[in-house]
Amino acid sequence: MLPAMSQPTDVVLDSAAAYPEINALRAALARRDWPACRTLLDSAGSMERTGLIRAVCEDEGLEGFLRAVLAADPADGAASALLGTHLIDVGWKIRTGARAQYVSREQFAAFHDWLRKAEQVLIDGAAYNPKDPAVWTARITSARGLQLGLAESRRRYDRLTAADPYHLPGQLQLLQMLCPKWDGSWEQVHEFARDAVGAAPAGGPHGVLIAEAHIEHVFDADNRAEMMGYLANEQVRAEIYQAAQRSIWHPGFGRGYGWIEALSSFALLFMLLDDQRAAAATFTAMGNLATRHPWDYLADDVVTQIQQARTWALGGKR
Amino acid sequence: MITQLEVGGIPTVLGPTTGPMHAGLVFRVGFADEPLAKRGITHLVEHLALHSFGVADYHYNGATSVEYTFFHTRGAEADIVKFLNGVCAALNDLPMHRLTTEKEILRTEENGRSEGPTEALALWRHGARDYGVVTYPEWGLSGITPDDLRAWVGRYFTRQNAALWIAGPAVPAGLQLTLPTGRRMPAPAQSSALPVRPAYFSGPSNVVAWDAVVRREARAAVFSGVLERALFRSLRQESGLSYTVHAGYEPRGDGSAVISAFADALPEKQGAVLGGFVDVLASARLGLIDQAEVTTVVNQRTEELTHAEENGSRLPGQAFNLLAGRPVQSLDEALAELRAVTRDDVAAVAASAFADGLLMTPGLTSADWAGYTAAPNSSDVVVQGTTYPSLEDPALALIAGESGVSVVGDGSAATVWFDQCAAVLAWPDGARRFVGHDGIQVSFEPTLFMNGHALIPALDARVRPELRTPMPPRDAARIPIPRPKPPQEHQPAPAAPETESGGTAGAVLGLVVLSPILLFFGLIGVVMLISAVADSEDTGSEVILGLSFLFVAVACGFGVGKAIRKLRNR
Repeated sequence: MLPAMSQPTDVVLDSAAAYPEINALRAALARRDWPACRTLLDSAGSMERTGLIRAVCEDEGLEGFLRAVLAADPADGAASALLGTHLIDVGWKIRTGARAQYVSREQFAAFHDWLRKAEQVLIDGAAYNPKDPAVWTARITSARGLQLGLAESRRRYDRLTAADPYHLPGQLQLLQMLCPKWDGSWEQVHEFARDAVGAAPAGGPHGVLIAEAHIEHVFDADNRAEMMGYLANEQVRAEIYQAAQRSIWHPGFGRGYGWIEALSSFALLFMLLDDQRAAAATFTAMGNLATRHPWDYLADDVVTQIQQARTWALGGKR
Repeated sequence: MITQLEVGGIPTVLGPTTGPMHAGLVFRVGFADEPLAKRGITHLVEHLALHSFGVADYHYNGATSVEYTFFHTRGAEADIVKFLNGVCAALNDLPMHRLTTEKEILRTEENGRSEGPTEALALWRHGARDYGVVTYPEWGLSGITPDDLRAWVGRYFTRQNAALWIAGPAVPAGLQLTLPTGRRMPAPAQSSALPVRPAYFSGPSNVVAWDAVVRREARAAVFSGVLERALFRSLRQESGLSYTVHAGYEPRGDGSAVISAFADALPEKQGAVLGGFVDVLASARLGLIDQAEVTTVVNQRTEELTHAEENGSRLPGQAFNLLAGRPVQSLDEALAELRAVTRDDVAAVAASAFADGLLMTPGLTSADWAGYTAAPNSSDVVVQGTTYPSLEDPALALIAGESGVSVVGDGSAATVWFDQCAAVLAWPDGARRFVGHDGIQVSFEPTLFMNGHALIPALDARVRPELRTPMPPRDAARIPIPRPKPPQEHQPAPAAPETESGGTAGAVLGLVVLSPILLFFGLIGVVMLISAVADSEDTGSEVILGLSFLFVAVACGFGVGKAIRKLRNR
């Protein structure tokens, strides 16, 4: 019997459920045990390490602790990356994810203050650790928030790829920057996604870049008709399926970094494409796990959105 | 081997050379000594002193620099004697009948001169005094009188303020360097217009530049070499963002030295060049300097010095040293100092240079995100006094008080205090431009204010007479006529008077020059140097009346449109 037939009712959004190492890192951070944190981070793969850093960056009270760690060892790249990512996160929560016109002047001022603090930590982090992908990933994010321009984001991305050629967390950050809502164009978004997916080894989660490119594009539509029109394009559909073949449907697709994010994004796309079978297979692979993004593009109540989609996919009504 | 002696009471350094004899007479005076109101006077003296050699068939030259002015020649002994004796004779009795002509020649020379990419840094760092004066046009030329020149020569071109270098076997016979008696003039103290450092300001879109003032020592020179290599590797080799990357080291007479660096950029890559530059400076600040880099630079410099000793080109620097009160350094001493430089020494220089740094960001970019503070480009305080609204724009006003003048509008202000004023440019038609010590300027066009002409005598009376800088008459077309802003579209504004030249370029030129306000204009010259585009007036058609505060760095008019647009878009 397929596990999906159990029709899980709970939607678990906590990334620690998909990546159990997160709990161990959270625990080590909670007891302010930096050597233990380092042991966990140092033993993770490059993308997993960046993923772990991003997963725990929201923990409160990190700034004082990590500044003390850096005071003792300014060259600790993991501490720089985590502190920088944390400060960016604090700033972005003040800004919120809303479009710029809905963000107040005060919010922007505070947002930029936090990003400047982050950037100054990361400048030193990158100087000491020019090959640390987590540092460069955070710097691609801070460059976007600080509006340093596409050329500087690209430079940072180039430094990232020099350290780690297929570093998906950083690629996802650059993809955001390439969107028209920031500094780029749809042509740049899709070209980047295609190139990055084509270059990365098959069976990895990188196909999510193509999924994300189309999700960003489709949610940029002004109305439902425009969305449907975009998704009706044969080329768009073909590209999405090809990307799925190369990642989530590839026999080598495992449960390493990015697996749940990739499935969650493809599940949303299959739902939008009205492909019940593909959506069902994807939800089945997800079990009761999911991610907030990109379902928050549908509505704030992410759990309900996911439950409804899953119910429809697995044979019920939407 | 350099030997020291005296020739006619002038301290002299003598050393061998591989080529023909070369000799130079240097005085401790340069642009940095000039009050802004007399800007150009040293250069004018240099030209007048050389006038009599106009058609000599041997190679000679004169040069005025920031701290030194020198006359040098290469050739047979007799030519050298004739040249240097002749320069001294001319300095004792300048050919004043040449004054008008030489002023014209200097104006022409200035027009053709292009500014170096790091030159604007001095304006922002020092303001309109001493080492910042260098960046200003030779505004003093019109008003300089024969008496001014004689006084300047009497003060600076004296036996006690001179040194001589001779690259050759011996002092040539017949050298009689007859000069007035005076005293040694130390290099001026360095003013600062930067309340906080590291600081930044934005310049043209095609270059990133930086400088810092550090102690003058071999390790600082080594750091500049290491910095250049790091910038080259990062910006050119790794990322292909820049073509020209340069760092330099320039000692100053007061025992300090300026380290400066720049990298060119395509406008669309400016953010990335800035980012890469910031990262290189950060690595230097953190002392992340490779021993191998230090060794390479020390070796290069050792080779250069050894070569310079052989051909006599260390001699001018040693003559400068004499004037700065520094001991003459033998090659062995110089090499020993150089070879003693360690990686940690260079790291220490890097840290202090970073702390003192001034960064010129390209185009619209800023550097606050990287921990640099914006250099002031307007005034915090407005004078107390009478307000004169602009006849053109009710949002703009001139305020004239007992202690200074301000222009206010658009939420910012430019103020020049009479007791902190570097110069007042005065046109025969009544226009005035006040330049503050900090480089902030207030321009006053009397035609653009109610009863503006009545205000001129009061303004003039409050400024020390020696600051008054007479300017040549302007074309009538350049004197502004008020053109009030159209109140409403249904009530058409009076047609703007056509300028003589007519057309868009003419109108824009009018705007720029007529603007009652002052321009803040950074590094326009750099734009021109690098892009070789000298028509920015023509391209400035988006210039809008309104803003206001320009901080003028360079010659008026030239490229102002671009600068205004840049400021407005900040």
